[in-house]
Amino acid sequence: MTTAMSPLGAAFDPAADHRVERHLWAQTVAMSKRSVIAIIRQPALVAPSLVFPLFFAALGSSSFSRATGLPGFPKVDSFLALSLAASVIQGVLFGSTNGGAALAVDIENGFFDRLLASPTSRVSILIGSLAGSALFGAVQALFFTVVMMIFGVHLYGGIVGLLVIVLAGALIGLSIGALLAAMALRTGSAEAVQGVFPLLFIMLFFSSAFFPRETMRGIYRTIANINPVSHLYEGMRDLVIDRLSAGAVARALLIPIAIGCVSIPIALSQLRRRLKAL
Amino acid sequence: MSGNDYPIYAEGLVRHFGNVKAVDGVDLQVEHGEVFGFLGPNGAGKSTTVRMLTTLLRPTAGIARVAGFDVMTQADDVRRSIGVALQDAAIDPLMTGSELLALQAVLYGIPKSKVKQRSDDLLERVGLTGAAGRRVGTYSGGMRRRLDLALSLIHQPTVLFLDEPTTGLDPMSRLALWEEVKRLNAEGTTVLLTTQYLEEADQLADRIAIIDHGHIVRQGVPRDLKAQVGAPTLVIEVPPDQVEAARAVLTRFGELRTTAEGTLGVGLTDGAEAVSAVVRALDEAHLRMQHLELNEPSLDDVFAEATGYRLEGEGSSNLPSAQGDDAPAEGEQPKSGRRRRRGRK
Repeated sequence: MTTAMSPLGAAFDPAADHRVERHLWAQTVAMSKRSVIAIIRQPALVAPSLVFPLFFAALGSSSFSRATGLPGFPKVDSFLALSLAASVIQGVLFGSTNGGAALAVDIENGFFDRLLASPTSRVSILIGSLAGSALFGAVQALFFTVVMMIFGVHLYGGIVGLLVIVLAGALIGLSIGALLAAMALRTGSAEAVQGVFPLLFIMLFFSSAFFPRETMRGIYRTIANINPVSHLYEGMRDLVIDRLSAGAVARALLIPIAIGCVSIPIALSQLRRRLKAL
Repeated sequence: MSGNDYPIYAEGLVRHFGNVKAVDGVDLQVEHGEVFGFLGPNGAGKSTTVRMLTTLLRPTAGIARVAGFDVMTQADDVRRSIGVALQDAAIDPLMTGSELLALQAVLYGIPKSKVKQRSDDLLERVGLTGAAGRRVGTYSGGMRRRLDLALSLIHQPTVLFLDEPTTGLDPMSRLALWEEVKRLNAEGTTVLLTTQYLEEADQLADRIAIIDHGHIVRQGVPRDLKAQVGAPTLVIEVPPDQVEAARAVLTRFGELRTTAEGTLGVGLTDGAEAVSAVVRALDEAHLRMQHLELNEPSLDDVFAEATGYRLEGEGSSNLPSAQGDDAPAEGEQPKSGRRRRRGRK
């Protein structure tokens, strides 16, 4: 049964002619490319994740510019410099929601079935989606940094600091994207995935992303202390307002990696669960 | 022949969704180079069966082999050998036809050097060369189905599954797709096609299976199945107050048959020659005929004979679900909303 006349008239041998053993890398790249195409071709969906963080940054900068003189505030050139890292995190959280929702839409409308009906690696479906989120996260980080530099933010961490911020953007996209992909695989509902966004936003607000922890009091400060977003933000912030340091690089990169170490296995287990439930 | 020798073979195939038996003991033996029609209303178990045969759903019980491979233990081999165009197939509207074919080619491990030629050939074959660079979101329903067919052929499968390929298409697009299926079959591809359109099954299928409530109730060559129904059906319409009297007259000429609401049908034991005798008998009984027609046995008659329902006129599905249109959610009864008991005897 391995050789038969093909519908197009040529002899067909799946093993020899197509070498149909799994090409995990090629499949993952193809799925990532699809994710990127979805981002590029839906500007209306993507624009808010680029515009709203800039809006918040502009609003904060005009409203709280004098707050930088308060005791406990780190030494900064401007409030806008503090906002850069917050904008990156905010934008990437926004963008990751789109990636998770896109996977849920694939499940809802049957495209996921199309993929499952092919001999492609199941993991490549997930990795492809996450790679798209990671790539978009990196692009967002670069975009916010460049825009804020145009508006006068000086990047004290230099070119290496910029690369770390971009890499951190990619890692946040990957790790949060995995969390949302897990939600998509669990529920198969785009609405459910989008419903997670407010929770992510609450995490952002209960962190030091908008005001330094030193200026906080009580329960708000306690939550901010244990919130990993605070430490991630501070690592990225220090790359902007201070010279390059191992501590800042470590916090900017290790925290999203740690989140990914939890979220990616959860996404994989949800993928296995969904496949098993068929 | 053993199960390995059939391109599609199923024995006692069962799928439960909770307490609901969506497919309940289906046996199939599809021959090489055959177009096999799987006919039934929404909720009958067609799509669930196809999903099991295409490795998208695990059978609760039973055996299924496709292209010689077991769907449970050799799922990847099955996937490499088959083409699948699912009902309500989602085609990414943001991608172009060419991009989707290229993606599909990668998923099937087709070497990069062959992708362009293969894609161009398929686009030409389905008449989409001019639209290859356009986003699928701008395609008509017919164009999407043709692209879907092209996608399912990218790896030159030996067995092709088409799940309600023409549902929702206009007559011209339907005819075009029929032609393509015939052409593929003539080139040697074995095709299993599910449909709720009797004409489609009649036009395309070498053999058909009628499925209802998860059971195959009839299976065979359409001509033979129609012959088994036997005599032609005389359908008459009389005023409502004369129905009972007309029924009594008709029973003298043969067995009463299921027909559309408001009409009476009788299978004429003596064939078409008996029509004049029926008309005379009705006239003598002072019954006023408002309408009369003589129908040769059709697949609809076969269907009605087997199930007690008429399928003709059933519309296309608009109730998609993750498991396919006919798969009920857990704890739900199989959908039968579109299945109407249209006739009376």
